[in-house]
Amino acid sequence: MTISAPATVDELQTLIRDSERIHVIGKGSKTALHGNVNGAAIVGLSGVSGIIEYQPAEYTVTVRAGTAVHDLSAALDDEGQYLPFDPLLPAAATIGGAVAANLSGSRRFRYGGVRDFILGAEVVDGAGRAFRVGGKVVKNSAGFDLSKFLVGSLGRYAIMTELTFKVFPDVPRFRSLAFHYEQLEDALSAIYFINQSPYELDALDLAPPPMNRGKKDRCWKLLTRLAGFDETLPQRVERFSAAMTGETAPIQVEPLEDSASLWDPLAGLAGACLVKVALSPKQVPRFDEMVSRSPRRYGVGGNIVWLATEDIKQLDAALKSCELTGLCLRGVVESAVIGAPLENVLAARVKQVLDPQGKLV
Amino acid sequence: MNRAFLAALENIYPADRLLTRDVELLPYESDALTAFSAKPGAVVLPVNEAEIIDTVRLCHEMAVPFVARGSGTSLSGGSLPIPEGLTIGLNRLNRIKKIDPQQRIAVVEPGVINLHITEAAQPYGLYYAPDPSSQSICTIGGNIAFNSGGAHCLKYGMTSNHVLGMKVVLADGAVTQFGGESIEGVGVGPDLVGLFVGSEGLFGIALEITVRLMPQPELYRTVLAAYDDLGRAGDAVSMVVASGLLPGAMEIMDRLAIKAAEASVNAGYPDAEALLIVELEGEAPQVNAEFEQLRRIIDASGAFESRVAKSEAERTRIWKGRKGAFSAVGRLSPDYIVQDGVVPRSRLGEALVEISALKAKYSLAVANVFHAGDGNLHPLILYDGREDGALEKAEALAGEILALCVNLGGSITGEHGIGMEKRDYLPAMFSEEEIDIMQALRLAIDPKEIANRGKMFPGGEAPALARQGMHPLERAGVISRE
Repeated sequence: MTISAPATVDELQTLIRDSERIHVIGKGSKTALHGNVNGAAIVGLSGVSGIIEYQPAEYTVTVRAGTAVHDLSAALDDEGQYLPFDPLLPAAATIGGAVAANLSGSRRFRYGGVRDFILGAEVVDGAGRAFRVGGKVVKNSAGFDLSKFLVGSLGRYAIMTELTFKVFPDVPRFRSLAFHYEQLEDALSAIYFINQSPYELDALDLAPPPMNRGKKDRCWKLLTRLAGFDETLPQRVERFSAAMTGETAPIQVEPLEDSASLWDPLAGLAGACLVKVALSPKQVPRFDEMVSRSPRRYGVGGNIVWLATEDIKQLDAALKSCELTGLCLRGVVESAVIGAPLENVLAARVKQVLDPQGKLV
Repeated sequence: MNRAFLAALENIYPADRLLTRDVELLPYESDALTAFSAKPGAVVLPVNEAEIIDTVRLCHEMAVPFVARGSGTSLSGGSLPIPEGLTIGLNRLNRIKKIDPQQRIAVVEPGVINLHITEAAQPYGLYYAPDPSSQSICTIGGNIAFNSGGAHCLKYGMTSNHVLGMKVVLADGAVTQFGGESIEGVGVGPDLVGLFVGSEGLFGIALEITVRLMPQPELYRTVLAAYDDLGRAGDAVSMVVASGLLPGAMEIMDRLAIKAAEASVNAGYPDAEALLIVELEGEAPQVNAEFEQLRRIIDASGAFESRVAKSEAERTRIWKGRKGAFSAVGRLSPDYIVQDGVVPRSRLGEALVEISALKAKYSLAVANVFHAGDGNLHPLILYDGREDGALEKAEALAGEILALCVNLGGSITGEHGIGMEKRDYLPAMFSEEEIDIMQALRLAIDPKEIANRGKMFPGGEAPALARQGMHPLERAGVISRE
């Protein structure tokens, strides 16, 4: 694979004007997205990197799209702040890729996803025009909000070169607990209890029983995390744990060592293809029956499932029958988008304007 | 109005829901931007989705411009009628179709009043977060069109951040839906919800909306701090932010706004140059700990007096003065214009000094009330519309304030939208090419430019500046301009 790596917006504009078809990548961490782009020129944006403007007092940061998520997070961390949507694949991904593929991590539960923290962007569209969408301040409602439209757009409408985000102060300490349940229904009921309670969780994921284990270990683990001040955490954990024990009858409450890998929903998901699906908690039972043999984890209170599979065709069929759409992140696939088709008349109109020749694939 | 078009409307609507007589049209001639008014050709009052779709298709077919309208509380003239066009009043589509407390979502029709969602969610310990000051009357359809905000946006975002899915009819009659019940919204593929929200009625009409609900905070702690200098109140906000606290709301009022609020709701505010309201919310143990930190900051910030709400009644009183400040200003002046420009928070002080200088230059009074947490100003420019040239002078001052916001790196509107009022200022924020692209997008969705024609984009025929004084509902204290 030959990758063109423009260093400036001008170079990117020239590349777009001179190419018939273009597929944009960051550093290529999501292999399935560029597995089958039929001879399109590959443009890598990792050279378009660096923080342009970071003002901790404004809660805003403007960064070039090819900046490594890891570098951006480190700079924010130095000021005690973070990206509350918790971008995935922090070690390998670029921030532009996290936006284009709409990948938020487990901490998304507390304040929201990519769409809730993107404020604006500089883009180059399929016609080679460079322009700005959205704003640079935390609140703005002038003009059409094309910056939100870019979230999940997979580089097919315009290529982002610069992004502005809202950031928040981070909390200093975490405590994690797992509540064990025999049945999926019991674990979902516990999620519903939390949803209507005043307990403010930093993250809430659900891990299915591990494969190939004895009967004793075959339980669903509801992973919970509280964040806050040192002096209040013990009391909060105790209150929350007591309420959960009283209201949701877990078979066990397990204190966990809080770590980055515990809250990496992709850790331990081994399989030929890795897929993200957005769904609602009430769609989980039916869907889960169809994928019960795949390693998977439900993130963000049962609103996302991360799933590894050897059989992408079977998953595609399962998704279609549930009217869900999946995005394949890793693996060799014909199309990264599987399940119910994405086609939408409004999206088509935007495509017609931003990429009339269909260059961006 | 075109007779054939009216005849076709008669096939959709019974006589009592198709208004054409002058006396029936009068209430629809203006919205909360009362300086403008225009007479619609007709008003229709659909009661279901099918009637809306039929109406939009008819408008498209016969190239008749339309504006969708909820309660008409737009501050930017967004729901102002198009002269001789059709106004589609959506208040009768006011059903809350579903509250699902387990998944924390509600499915509603566009004419549902903002506060009614919270009222329906309350028994389950939930609420609908976006809280524009007109929330007791404004509708969710209008909130979507203008991406409405409120006092609590910094932490939990604006309307766009609370809409998960929607079914819409586009201006050319195409019906589509996107997003759903997942908190991820659209999830895979471009975020069409994010694009549609805030499109000011130019793309079409939302028919059914899925919103997310939030758990009611266990505890609020609200502090009111008084300063003898506006700049010092602004500095206090910076100190709170620098400390790492994330309050649910931070609001500042200046002397004139305080005076108005006192005269109107008798909130018992101290006599001060500036008041700062800071509200923390969340789990009780955490909020109590944060509150200790906040008190130390306020004490060190040079406040000459600070009060802590000790009961829900006291908290309500603090907010009542703040939320009523706008309509209260109406007691001080026959007319006023509200702007809602945004500046970077760290430049609030600079912006206030500049506004003060402009005030002197134009010899007009300006009251300042603002969402300090997100730098969203709300200068109220007081004038008397009965005086020749007074409105024009006030508008010139407003224009200078908008230019100032852009120059300081902010935005011409934080939450009211461009609408009719600020369309000529769009070029201050976006380049010609950027506006061309937005126009092209609009044309791709609405080739005949019938949906809310004359709004957002510069130019076009302007309706007459006519009415003076407050909106009747505003005078009654039901709505306020914020």
